[in-house]
Amino acid sequence: MVHALRRAGQRLPAGGSLISIRPHRTWRPVVSIHTPSRRAPVAQLINSAFDSRLSAAEAALARVVQEGRFTLAGVRNHRYRAGLDNLSQLRTYLELISPPRPRFPAGGRARLLELWGLRPRGSKIEITESIVVTALRRA
Amino acid sequence: MAPPLDISAYPPDGMEVRLIERFTTLKGRRILEVGCGDGRLTFQYARTAAQVLAFDPDRASIEEALDQQAVLDIRNIAFRVGSVEHLPARGAPFDVALFSWSL
Repeated sequence: MVHALRRAGQRLPAGGSLISIRPHRTWRPVVSIHTPSRRAPVAQLINSAFDSRLSAAEAALARVVQEGRFTLAGVRNHRYRAGLDNLSQLRTYLELISPPRPRFPAGGRARLLELWGLRPRGSKIEITESIVVTALRRA
Repeated sequence: MAPPLDISAYPPDGMEVRLIERFTTLKGRRILEVGCGDGRLTFQYARTAAQVLAFDPDRASIEEALDQQAVLDIRNIAFRVGSVEHLPARGAPFDVALFSWSL
């Protein structure tokens, strides 16, 4: 990715912006059951293959700053939630993610099935996702 | 008839543009978008940008983007199959380079 950042930088004037939007590396997706009265976290999804790509992206952004090509203008983290009506929609949600897809940790899916079976009327499955926006300025 | 399901792991429309615009405006700017996929994000800001050059290595995604571009009749986007490393080092400058979910 560092080559891509360098090449993009060559086509930006001084002061031009480079923005990276990507999933947050450490704020992993959280699956919860959202009842009418509370939100109960069930599991954090795991995606070790994707984690290494996110680490590489962070390293590449740091590298072009160290090289003096860019300065760091800011970083902003953000969370958003998707509400799903049932387990079938959860399966669709996960299948729509480009590989490598996240998976449940050991015991996580069983815990979800157990809690979902006990849910009060009006409950939803909720996925909390997190993204990070990094802004660089061309030096 | 039940409405179509709108299930996506991506942020709701508009959220990413609002986050980007905390750092820089996209309005009237020349944008280079790297990793545009099917244009999901591109179409959210393109109408206000001056020009957009959007790359993705996945041909099928670019073909989807081109189909959608025709439907939306947005004419200031050039979608290209490829990677930004193949962009010539010299050429017309861009104001903003956007790496959207590009790793």
